[in-house]
Amino acid sequence: MEIDWGLFAELFGRTFTFWWVILPAILLGLIVGAIPGFSAANTIIILLPLTLAMEPEIGLIFMVALYASSRMGAGIPAILVNIPGTAGAAATPLDGYPMTKQGRAQQALAISFVSSVFGGLLTTILALLAMPWLSQVAYHLHSVEMIVIMLFGISLIATIAAKDTLKGLIAGFFGLMIGYIGADVVYETPRGTFGFLELYDKVPLIPALVGLFAVSEAFAVIEGESILTKRGMEAMQKAGWAETWEGVRLAVSRWWHIIWTSIIGLVIGVVPGAGAAIASFVAYQQSKTFSKTPEKYGTGHLDGLVAPESANNGVTSGTLIPLLVIGVPGGATAAIMAVVLQYHGVTVGPDLFDSQPELAYGAFTAMAVTYAIMILTVLPLARYMSRITVVSTTYMAPIIISFTLVGAFVPRAYVFDMYLALAFGVIGYVARKTGYHVAAILIGVILGPLLENYFLRALRISQGDVMVIFSSNLGDVMWVMLIVSLFVPMYLDRRRKRQAEQAVPTTTDC
Amino acid sequence: MSDFENDFSRRLFLKGASATAGAGALSMLPIQAAFAAAFPEQNIQIFVPTRAGGGADRNMRAFTSVWKNYLKTNFEAGFYPGAAGRVGYETYMGKAKADCYNLIFGNMGPEVLNWVVKKPTFDLNRFLYIAQVDQDPGIVFVSKKNKKLKNIDDIVKEGKKRTLNVGVSRLAHPASLGVVALGRHTGAKFNLVPLSGGRNTRAGVATGEMDFGALPSGSVVRKQKQFDIVAVFDKENPLPNRMKKAVVVNDHFGMKLPPLYAGARAFGIKREAIEKHPDRYKVLTDTLQKVYTDPAYKKAVKKTKAPWKYIRYGSPADCEKYVKYITDIGAEYKSLLTGKS
Amino acid sequence: MSDENGPDTGKPAKKAAGAELVLPVAGLIFTIYYFTTIIDVPWTAQVSAFFVGTILIGLIIALIIRTVIQVRRGEASLSLAPLIAPRDYVPKRLALLGLTLSYVFFIEWGGFTITTFLFLLCSMLLLSGGKKKGLILTISLILSVGGYFLFIVVFNTRFPKGPVETMLHGVF
Repeated sequence: MEIDWGLFAELFGRTFTFWWVILPAILLGLIVGAIPGFSAANTIIILLPLTLAMEPEIGLIFMVALYASSRMGAGIPAILVNIPGTAGAAATPLDGYPMTKQGRAQQALAISFVSSVFGGLLTTILALLAMPWLSQVAYHLHSVEMIVIMLFGISLIATIAAKDTLKGLIAGFFGLMIGYIGADVVYETPRGTFGFLELYDKVPLIPALVGLFAVSEAFAVIEGESILTKRGMEAMQKAGWAETWEGVRLAVSRWWHIIWTSIIGLVIGVVPGAGAAIASFVAYQQSKTFSKTPEKYGTGHLDGLVAPESANNGVTSGTLIPLLVIGVPGGATAAIMAVVLQYHGVTVGPDLFDSQPELAYGAFTAMAVTYAIMILTVLPLARYMSRITVVSTTYMAPIIISFTLVGAFVPRAYVFDMYLALAFGVIGYVARKTGYHVAAILIGVILGPLLENYFLRALRISQGDVMVIFSSNLGDVMWVMLIVSLFVPMYLDRRRKRQAEQAVPTTTDC
Repeated sequence: MSDFENDFSRRLFLKGASATAGAGALSMLPIQAAFAAAFPEQNIQIFVPTRAGGGADRNMRAFTSVWKNYLKTNFEAGFYPGAAGRVGYETYMGKAKADCYNLIFGNMGPEVLNWVVKKPTFDLNRFLYIAQVDQDPGIVFVSKKNKKLKNIDDIVKEGKKRTLNVGVSRLAHPASLGVVALGRHTGAKFNLVPLSGGRNTRAGVATGEMDFGALPSGSVVRKQKQFDIVAVFDKENPLPNRMKKAVVVNDHFGMKLPPLYAGARAFGIKREAIEKHPDRYKVLTDTLQKVYTDPAYKKAVKKTKAPWKYIRYGSPADCEKYVKYITDIGAEYKSLLTGKS
Repeated sequence: MSDENGPDTGKPAKKAAGAELVLPVAGLIFTIYYFTTIIDVPWTAQVSAFFVGTILIGLIIALIIRTVIQVRRGEASLSLAPLIAPRDYVPKRLALLGLTLSYVFFIEWGGFTITTFLFLLCSMLLLSGGKKKGLILTISLILSVGGYFLFIVVFNTRFPKGPVETMLHGVF
């Protein structure tokens, strides 16, 4: 596939003239991204009458802008109030929220925006440049390889569990067990559903997400006047524009980190069906593995915020590749975009580059332009958004409960899901109060069923031979990488501790 | 969008309101035509046991966009996917009033097959399909990139040498049964791999993890650039122009499989509603039959890109016959579908 | 105040290991229940859950043994204190839980707008101890009406509809 750069440049300029479509789409995307339960995919479905009425080019620009900005929107509540807007932002609060509590919400938002935008912009360009090669990824990452990728994400449980390994692992494995509720993918046998039909299709993610993070948080924070620490409150009172710039400076100083973690997102995004949640967990895990200061992760560490935010925006660009190159969408949003274009008589697939190059390249230019416009329009808002953290918990807790329960309802429109979110809220509350990590439970709930699906698929393909998991060369290389990335940090950690012991008394890690 | 908004509870409330219309506070509610004698006097609710935005959604929208002109009322759709449709049938349609204002838009193929495999908690006879809307045969397809398997004979030949992996949406699916029957007849070894939905199945075939796939034709026929449809489980090739390489399995292999419609969408109603309101039921069936011949409907279907040829009216008797047939074939292959002997 | 995703229990002299056992015991009961649902099913439905569940049970047993040893040594107690600490907040927290449950229960009948308004109003009044009534009333009103426009008018979500939604249906 030859890339027509002239056309690309022309389109780039042309896309800017559609700022009047992009701006409202960005605004809408930020809102729907920030409310748990809403996503770019279901917003496009809701707005189908509108998108179907648009010209295909404008419709595409609108959808792409909405998609990219919703990804960024999901990080905002994750940082400010510990509520990831979508599963793709589930790793964001790990370090984003501690920053908020320290009164550095504005900085954290700026870091998230810059990482998202540069991660997104870079991967959009990379996606275009490397399309012929990247499109091959989907041909090589099959069930077996995906099992290993899932394990990379799940191994984050062990990393998070560093403080009390036994309790951390219990939380993670409990999450995995909860994730196995529902019918198995082969014979569709319902398991552990307590007789609820609503649980046959596995535990729905949004109720689990808002329950574990938000509802439990709301019940916990009422003990204090604000979600901020005392020092955090003082810092917030003093915060001015300088905080935003400091955030930008810090993020830019981590440019290399943004690059490689967003590429993780890009590559995972290319695999049909993988998604942003797995990408952000893997990026966080890898970031910590190769960090010189892994003990600081979870306490408001810059890299711990940069990694998931860059990665989940990398996924956004990645999902367009299988859609355009092999005609198979990488995720739900891309699939719905294809439906809308189909309605206009545009068949999305490899021929689009020849038949309607303005649409094929247009998808990427729209994304690039959205990111460019987004950094200019959203960054100044960080200061105002961050003010939400000084609101008293008297108001905050009920608002969080009510709006996240609404979010739990939205994806499937079952009132059952609101009860489910409440049940997860109780689990999350008990976990917080007794020293179990809710993120470890959530990783299990999200990745457990995915791992099982790939595992059962691999077993089905091999007709029951478990050794199938070592049957591919690429997979075997990935197994080695997994083992290395699990044990190297342990070795480094031990060495560091030994060195530290020689200098000062032992410090506790996070 | 307003036609399709789901305000089922609002209507329930309205009904309550009309019963207590004397209450002053409620008299300000816009009880549109609450006292009109003719049916329908309010919107009709349609329960769709699949996801919004999918094939059933497009199909139902096209049909109701015309039907509403004959019925002189609006339709409100509620999408209740989950547990292979059981949530829609059991939890929502099951609780709805038997008053001819509540219909289900189901699929007599995979959904009914599902009841065979997992006995539902409700009595199947409580529902009656009153009009089939379309039928979409199951097909076998390969990726154009596949160098070895170009047609159905290649597949059977290769299947006799080694076990081929077949991507299917789910095991309990008419298209999947077609492949199993073909394997039994020819002696080729096919290993069905359920990939949860059409999109994943196409991805599995496109990326080469699966040797070939079997799905409803509608889900593949629009992707002619990526896939070749090589066989069809029907009496004839319904789209010879768009499925040029497709052979009719029965003719080609001398088999006697009845048609395996992977998609057989139909409106359904509670039998109790028909018994209680035969007059309303007559209005429903009389008006819906007019839709099929209305040029506006053809236009609406064309807009969804679904083949017009698949639109087919089926009477309640036709539907019952098809349900029985699917039930029988499901029972025959039950052990294969459940993993239990 | 809770820590970001982890605990934040004021540490008494003895570790309150009783509270730490609540989640594992729940996990143990759930795992055993789960196992009972997969006894007679095809192996594909069993393999992952038996693998993970067995490890989970092993981990939980290890924790119980650890706790027993700590209690014997006098390092820990079987107190449930962290779960309810600080005690002053127990009534408020239980009342908030009750309000939340009622919210979900009544939303099916009352519809989104009015139920949300009442929930916000009551729970904020509960948390403020009855102070700032005017402000709370205003916030509840703005948010429930704003929520109505955002969720029901703009996004057309399929929220249960009550009297408010029905009344305004013709208007928006």
